[in-house]
Amino acid sequence: MKRGLKKDFTLLAITMIPIGVAINVVAYQLMTILKMPIYLDVIGTCIVAMVAGPWVGLVTGGLGNVVNGMLNPVSIPFAITSMAIGLTAGYLSKYRMLVKPWRIIVSGLLIAVVSSATSSPIQVILFGGVTGQSGDIVMATLLATGKQIWTAVFSQTLLLGVVDKVLAILASSLIVYKMTPQFLSKMHYGDIYMRSKKMNRKGDQVK
Amino acid sequence: MKKSILDLYPTTKLLGVLFVFISILIVPGYAYQYAILPICMVIALLAGVLQSFCSLFFKGVTLIVLFIFIIQGFFYPGETVLWSGWIFSLKLEGLNYSLLLTSKIVAITASIILFFQITKTKDLIIALEKMGTPKKVTYVIMSTLQIIPQMRKQLNVIMDAQRSRGVETEGSLMIRAKAIVPVLGTLIISSFENTQERVITLESRAFTTQRKKTNVTVLPKGPLDTIVRIVLLLLLVLIIWKGVIG
Repeated sequence: MKRGLKKDFTLLAITMIPIGVAINVVAYQLMTILKMPIYLDVIGTCIVAMVAGPWVGLVTGGLGNVVNGMLNPVSIPFAITSMAIGLTAGYLSKYRMLVKPWRIIVSGLLIAVVSSATSSPIQVILFGGVTGQSGDIVMATLLATGKQIWTAVFSQTLLLGVVDKVLAILASSLIVYKMTPQFLSKMHYGDIYMRSKKMNRKGDQVK
Repeated sequence: MKKSILDLYPTTKLLGVLFVFISILIVPGYAYQYAILPICMVIALLAGVLQSFCSLFFKGVTLIVLFIFIIQGFFYPGETVLWSGWIFSLKLEGLNYSLLLTSKIVAITASIILFFQITKTKDLIIALEKMGTPKKVTYVIMSTLQIIPQMRKQLNVIMDAQRSRGVETEGSLMIRAKAIVPVLGTLIISSFENTQERVITLESRAFTTQRKKTNVTVLPKGPLDTIVRIVLLLLLVLIIWKGVIG
């Protein structure tokens, strides 16, 4: 199967983009309903990036923020962060970094670093280091202890992002493994997650 | 008046947003930038969307603006201390910086929210298609906007279904965390595998054909569009002129 920037955007990959964006929104909504302290709002981007490739992941991330921006324009500049997350997740998946538990955790940490590294410049330059969310209190505390604004914003986003990103990437790989081989075989990057399931004579799966 | 604003061609309105973007970067200070907000409010009032505009705007921006004033006011490096207490001191430089920063945020946010309040996304998509945006791009945007509300409904359906099977969604952190897998997993896998049917549907409707397609909706460009465009252009030239001279 040929891969690449132009070849990755098959019709199936394109129809996955809206679903990925919607999953980001819905996952965030579920976390609010369940009152969980994490967001998991990159889960859709990660899944799409894993099975449809880094460039489709990049588009999914960016589009999500733009659509959000129709109601809350503050999220539009952070599209760069989401795009970077999609791209990173896609490449990690391509180089088989999302197949074993410890590799997944390392990948989650890497994604958290990428996300902080891209979001803190936007946050500092455009919004004076502020997000309007609860994390600002952490940052104000760091600033009060005499840290520079760059260090404060970076450490705050990393601190709050690390658990969220590791859990999100863990959840997305679990979900990708649950997808049917028939579906994964149609995706350009899905072959890594296809498992040959042992069958008995009746065709049932053997544990 | 209401109709003439709503009926403006989408790209004309988009040019208005672009004008705000460029002009606030050129004009120094913060008075002009803050003036964009009342102007947007007047347009929203004339178009009959003032209520939704205000609710979206204040919901999105109030906290950020407030926090910028607090954090930059207290922690921006400066000498002129206006007020101090315990280990904190409010500085003039910080307040000035916050005013500059927030004025731009307020202007851009207000114009973008106004744009999406007075433009139907469908019209915007058609205008984009006429400009030569590939059909694949417009399909993705349109489909995203339609799928999000559908998925929200489906989330509630699945949550109710799982609750009726005895999956608990209230209680301690662990109990709530256990509910994530049965709810989210079901939703995600079913919706991803449905994409295959979507592809078949699209193919059967000749989505990938290279031929030119016709559109049912017609978007007329009126004389008002030309007037608004010329006025915006003149204003921009005036602002750049002043910026170069001053």
